[in-house]
Parts: sequence; structure tokens; C-alpha cells
Amino acid sequence: MVSNLRYVGNPALQNVDGADKVSGRARYVCDMVVPGMLVAKVLRSPLPHARIARLDTAPALAVPGVKAVITHADFVDDGNFGWPVKDAYVLAVNKVRHVGEPVAAVAAETEAAAMAGLNAIIVEYEPLPVIGTVDQAMAPEAPLIPEVSPTGKGNLCNSHILRNGDPAPLLTEAPVRFEATYEMPHQEHAYMETEGALAIPEPDGSVTLYANNQSPHINRDIAAQVLGLPTNLVRVIQPPIGGAFGGKDEILYQTSAQAAKLATLAGRPVKLILSRSESMAASYKRQAMRSHIVLGAETDGTLRAAKIDLTVDNGAYASGTPLASWRATMHAAGGYRYAAVHVDMQSVYTNNGYSGAFRGFGNTQASAAVELAIDELAERLGQDPLEYRLRNCLREGDATMTGDLLNQAVGLADCLEWVRDRSEWTKKRADCTAQPEDGLTRRGIGVACYFHGSGLGGEGEDFATATLKIEEDSSITLTSGLTDFGQGSRTVFTLLAAETLGVDIDRIRVLRPDTQTALDSGPTVASRASIVGGNAVRVTSEKVALLLDLAAADHLRCDPQQLIRDGEGYVGPDETPVPFETVVDHAREMGLQLSAQGRWQIRPIEWDFETGTGEPYFCYVFGAQVAEVEVSRRTGRTRVLKIWAAHDAGKILFPKGALGQMYGGIAQGLGFALMENFRFKDGVPQTLSFTQYRLPRATDVPEIEGTYIQTAGAIGPYGAKNLAEPVMIGTAPAIANAFAQATGIRVRGFPLPRVKGWIRRQSKPCPPVLANL
Amino acid sequence: MRLTFTLNGEVVSLDRIAEDLPLLDLLRDTLGLTGTKRGCETGTCGLCSVLVDDALTRACRTPVTKIAGHTVTTIEGMLGPNGELGDLQSAFLEYGAVQCGFCTPAMVLAGEALLRRTLTPSREEIRRAINGILCRCTGYQQIVDAIEATAQHRRDQQKATSGGEGQW
Ligand code: FES
Repeated sequence: MVSNLRYVGNPALQNVDGADKVSGRARYVCDMVVPGMLVAKVLRSPLPHARIARLDTAPALAVPGVKAVITHADFVDDGNFGWPVKDAYVLAVNKVRHVGEPVAAVAAETEAAAMAGLNAIIVEYEPLPVIGTVDQAMAPEAPLIPEVSPTGKGNLCNSHILRNGDPAPLLTEAPVRFEATYEMPHQEHAYMETEGALAIPEPDGSVTLYANNQSPHINRDIAAQVLGLPTNLVRVIQPPIGGAFGGKDEILYQTSAQAAKLATLAGRPVKLILSRSESMAASYKRQAMRSHIVLGAETDGTLRAAKIDLTVDNGAYASGTPLASWRATMHAAGGYRYAAVHVDMQSVYTNNGYSGAFRGFGNTQASAAVELAIDELAERLGQDPLEYRLRNCLREGDATMTGDLLNQAVGLADCLEWVRDRSEWTKKRADCTAQPEDGLTRRGIGVACYFHGSGLGGEGEDFATATLKIEEDSSITLTSGLTDFGQGSRTVFTLLAAETLGVDIDRIRVLRPDTQTALDSGPTVASRASIVGGNAVRVTSEKVALLLDLAAADHLRCDPQQLIRDGEGYVGPDETPVPFETVVDHAREMGLQLSAQGRWQIRPIEWDFETGTGEPYFCYVFGAQVAEVEVSRRTGRTRVLKIWAAHDAGKILFPKGALGQMYGGIAQGLGFALMENFRFKDGVPQTLSFTQYRLPRATDVPEIEGTYIQTAGAIGPYGAKNLAEPVMIGTAPAIANAFAQATGIRVRGFPLPRVKGWIRRQSKPCPPVLANL
Repeated sequence: MRLTFTLNGEVVSLDRIAEDLPLLDLLRDTLGLTGTKRGCETGTCGLCSVLVDDALTRACRTPVTKIAGHTVTTIEGMLGPNGELGDLQSAFLEYGAVQCGFCTPAMVLAGEALLRRTLTPSREEIRRAINGILCRCTGYQQIVDAIEATAQHRRDQQKATSGGEGQW
């Protein structure tokens, strides 16, 4: 049946909610207005680390127009939440640990009244010593940032190890040994829509929350817990979301709980929308990460062993870092063959904001470091960096750096060859080498590749659910607990249901995630919506399709096996098509219930966190990118001229959406390499606006030539694998490697420096290094 | 003050409007036209861009006094008489230029402003025309595709019209 696909992979398919958005009709939470609505504002810490000596909110209530004020004391168990480390609070308790941490919140008739209320609150801080670096955090006498150390080892938040063989003797014996340290900066998600929630207290004592969160069920559970309400009295509805990229989890749980508490106290709806500067101070970031890398290779370049130490700055709260740092540990040596690899990861509390999930989830930083290292190593060996990767990259039947045997199609070499051929790599590489030493500009071309484990892996139970119902008029309603924040999952779910049921796509409507109608599907993270959520939609649709087959066969008086489909119609041996509606009506006459729910779960993987061994993921995706850059000697500015990208994502379900994900991921990777750098100075954020924190604009991003290598056999619906996250991983290191060819300067961190008047240096055995700090 | 201007083809007259009220607040809060978005406080994101006469303008930086007697077009004004999508809007869908959609209204208006100036923009010119508006989702490429295709489409239409006249 799969041979003749109508929707899956159809390049003409459009985003199902695109028309709402392009017409300006889509209503995001910031656009919502309800009668009697109050405006909320949050008092946030100006200090990175301080004891709250005094907090008196009573004067705020005396301000005209103020209807409610809250602190941590208004929440059950002080509003403590967080998973896997329960160290977060809805509002600060006793102490603030980062600039922007919420301390109290006010709801008032107008924004001005709410601001006046905030100003009336009496708060006194006693500054505590600030921990602005991971080294300070790990010093023996360092003041403790969390209330209790989750590891019992001071500011150590968590650690992970990987043990695959023993690299020590191999590294000692290896004729070529490379060792270097890389520092990757914090990165801001900078979704265009800031965080927001609208809480409506209902007459029955329940609360309805509209929130731009990624995972409505988790939000509901946390809100119920901290508000002291039974779960069934909290309803979370997700409106369209203006971008997330991993960034709309914990910060939204805080924001939603604040709005909900204010609303129940005031007995009126409360809307709380963060301003941009507030969002940039209060929201979590991509972790800054240090990778100390030791690689050992044969004289011909064959990689033998790697030993890598990762130190992660997770800031004031754990958030998603314990999971993201595990993913970093599983990928730190890259998509190459090794005989032995050890990785040791330590994640440390500091007062530098806090960090959590961001596209790539730890692999973006870890892979960037190793891709810079591999490039340096290839240069030392006098080998072409792309051919060097082809010689060492993972292929079917190889074991990954964790020792996981690849019994799946592996498209990594195909990706490398595609970007090589499309970019005319060999010619361009030679042309760049032949450029005059003293030109006003110099060009360079660079490559990077990556592998990325699919789904949650050892990070948690990986399941999703869906429900499907054929309505009285034969229209179809579908729900999924996994959400769409712009990455196109609603479209993917719609097309999968249409394909599996053999109906027109217009018949199907995916409801917005609403905890009252959709079943829990776990978090919408890790690019898992298409695979896990998609399979849940597929199995649910299959259940209903089976019932319809029975009904059609009964109606046509034949065996279900004899049925064929003609468009939406069913055709039996007498060859007259019966319309879909007739089959639906007949099914109802037979007493069949035309609704179903389905659940799909990835088989549990086995990872032993104690020994650092096991099978971390059930499958992998791969990709490679080439970047061509031009660096101006006068301004020191690096311009990216073009990017070629290939990604092995199995079967592509929604081609337009998939390409959009690739282009968008590449732009974020370009920003990471060239301009984005969320800086803290002694714990104080330095980049709280888009003038200080520069994002790639249309003239910064070059034309991109991208493709998907569609390998077969993946377990996603119709053979799909994931793509939204990993597509950004290759970009930043490819750009830095191109920069190295252009300038002779090897960087060991991002963003790339602007070095005016640099003089091209001949490559030396140990190239000059600019540590970027 | 009393404010009179043309909004999406209709004359609007409002009383007791504060002179320093930003156009963005007027549109979103007073008139309930929420298609125009707010993305920052520094005038850098461009999400609030609308057309004042034919020029792309940041509504957050435009006091309402400046629009008195002028013509303002927001995303709501880009729809056809029966609420159908305009050619540029359809092209955004066709070329996959919409992801989260938060930048989309401003991007459509930026494209429209450019196409009112020229129907033969290069891709580089299109990039410059949308450079004032941030998009974090798309990497801009499909937005450029959509505007480029609409330019072609409008050229073809022009040619068909003038070609038709020539025949007669
Ligand atoms: S589509 Fe999300 S910001 Fe442009």
C-alpha cells in the first residue's frame, strides 16, 4: 500500500496553518484579550547572587489598580519544581541566583498600575559572592549556589561518563596525537515571540491557561502541583507559538504558574507577557561548554582513540542541562570510527543566568568542538579535510564512538560526497590556497559533519499518543499531545493521517494541543514529533482504517483483502466505487465506533549511567555541510558566501517544511559562529537587546543549497528520521574551518574574531590559535 | 488630538488620541488589529513594520501624529475583498516561507513595499528589502523565493495586460 503515496513526500504540500499566519489572523497569546483581563508584571533580580534580606509586598496592594501580588509563599512547597533535578522555583525563595530571576509578581488593571505596584514592593538584597566561571564554581571554598548540592559535591550539578574500550594506551602509542581545548559560548534562542501566558479563573475553581509552552501536559502538571489543585482542575491550551527551538519549557512553567496564581487570587483573567529584555535576562540559554579533546591517529590519518573532557556551565538552575549534557557526552568525539573513546562530563552551577534545552541539545556545542579539532588534525597530517572525514566517517556496520553497532543505513559518506561535489570542493579549495597573500579579501572553504542520535535515547520514556475521530459529517478530528511551534508537526500529522486513511487532506483537522482533549505525549523536544508523534498518528489511523475496511467489505459483500481504493472511494469486485461517506455511514449502521486512540513507543534503550556503557539511541541521523567565506582584511569581517548542506533523514514526509527546517537551522548555526554570543560579566548579562545581541539578518545569511539524502529502513512513519535539530550542527564549525583556510587563523571557540589587518600566515605544524573568551 | 487617516482602504477618525501614542499601540490596543507584532523595545526586530503610504515603516517608532492624513496598510489590508489571500501571501505558503508565522506579517509588507518600487528585484535586493526584519525560523531563503516568484507573477500579469492591449 505504501508504494503509491499521495501526501507523504509530496513537494506541493503546504503548511496547514500557514493561511492563518500569512493573513495575520493567527492569534498568539499576546494577541488575546478577554473581558476583565488584568495585566501582570514581574519583579526580577538585578543581582546575580544575593540573599533576599527583606521582601514586603504589602505596599504594592495599596497602589490604585493593583489587584493581586504574589511571592513564593503563595505556592505549595514554595513553588519548587524541576526535572530531573528539582531545584527551580516559580518565584525566588530566600535567595536569587541569576539576574532576571523572578522574585514577586503583580496583577493590575493597567500596565502602568502594575509597574507602580512593582515599584512599591520593598525588597532588600544582601549581595553574595558571584560565581562567573566554571573554574570558580569548582574551587574548594566556592560558595554553594543551589539550596542543596544534587551530587553532594558542591556546585557540581551532574556528571556523565562514556567508557568505550581504553583509549589511554592507544593515545600513548599513537604516532600522531592532537590535543586542544575549545570554548563554546552561551546562545540565546531569540524566538521572535517572547514568553507569555493568559490565565482565566473559571467559576468551578479550575484554571484555564493559554501559554506558548512546548509541552502543555508538563505545564499543566507543574501548575496543578504548585497551585495545590488536582490535575483535572488545570487546563492548558496552546495557541500558535512564535518559535521555541527548545526554549519554551521551564521559563513557561514559571510564567504560567505566576499568571495562574495571580488570576485565582484576583478572581479575574491575567495576562503576563515578557518584554524582550526581560525575556533575554530571564530565559534559559544554550549551555556554554568547554571541550578538552585528545585525539590519536595513525600516520596515514586513521583515527584510533579519543579522550574528551567536557565542562558545562549550566548556570543557576539545572533545567534541561543534565539531559543535554548526556547527549553532549554521547556525541563529543563526532561521527567517526574509533577503537576506544572515553568522555567525562561535568556540569557546574554558576551565576551566569541558567541554561537548558536548545536545538541540538548539547550536540551543537560538542560537535562544533570536535569538528574544529578534526580539521586541525587533518591539516597537521597534510590531508584534505573533507577526504580526511570520508576516510574516518561512520559507515553501515561500523560502531559509533559509544560502541553502538550501526545496523542501519548510514548516509554520512553520501552527505560528504554530495556537499563535496556540489560545492566543487576540490577546485575551490585549490583556488583559495592559490590566492595572493596580500589581497584585500581572502576566501576559504571549510567542511564539517555530524551524527545525531534519534529521540530521547537514555533521556526518558519515549512515547506519544494520538486520538482520531470521524465526525457525523465524515470530517475527521485528530489530536496529538506533541505540539507545533513552527516546525510543521501539525502538517506532518495531518498528512500522515490522510495518507494512512486514504482520504483527502482537507477532511482532517488537527486540534490545537489542549490538555482537556489531547492525551499526554511527553515533552515536545529532541525533534521527536515526526518520528514518535507521527507513528502514534499512523497507528491510530490504521486502527480506524481497519474498521472502515470491514465496513466497506460488508457493504460491498466481499472480503476486505479484495478491496482497492479509488481516491477516497472503496472498490470491490464489482468495480463500482463507493464513496467514503457511504462507508462511514455503513460502519455506523454496523455499530462500529469510528474513533480510536493510539500510542507508540520507541523500544526502551539500555544505557548504564554508572558504567558509562550501553546502547544510547535506537537510530541515528547524519549530515555534512560546506561553507565558503570571504574575510576582509580592512574590516576583519567574515561574510559567508554560500552553504551546501546534506542531511540523511530517511524518508522526507513534508519536503517544504523539511527544507525550511534546514535553512532555519543553518541560519542559527551561522549566528552561533559569526555574531551571537550571550555574554555574562561576573554573572551580569551584557546582551539584553537585539542591538547588543545580534541575530543573522537576511543579508548575513547566504544562499543555501541543501538536500536530504533519503536512506531507507528507518522506523519513523513511512521510514522517516528526525531532522529539525541536527541540521544546525554542521554550520558553525564549517564556517570556522573555512575561516581558517582564508586567514590561517585557527579559532578554538565562537564567535569568530574580527581581526583587522591580519596577515595570512603559512600553515605551520602548530597553527596560531586565538582563544575566544 | 483628533486623528484622521486611511487604514487599509477605509478612512478612520478617532478622538482623544494621545499625540505621542505609537502607531503600534494604536493598531494593536486601540483598534484590535493584532496582525502587526511586537518583538522588542529597541526598534531592532522590525516585526511591527507596516506600510505608511508606500514606505515600510516601524509602527513602534512612529507616533500617530506622523500618520495623520496618510495611508496605512497592515497585514489585514493585504487580503482581497472577500478575505482571500493576496498573491504575495499565497506565494509565502507556496514557497514554504511561513514557519512560526510571527515575522510573517512584517515580511509580507516588506515584500509588498519592494514590489511597489520594482518588479525586477534581484535576490540581493530582496534580501536588502527584508533586512530590517528578523526571522529566527526560516533562514530567509524561502521568503526570498516567495517575493521573487511574486515579482515574476506580477510581471507576467503586466505583460498579459499590456500585451492584450497591443493586440487590439
Ligand atoms: S517564521 Fe518564525 S520568525 Fe519568521
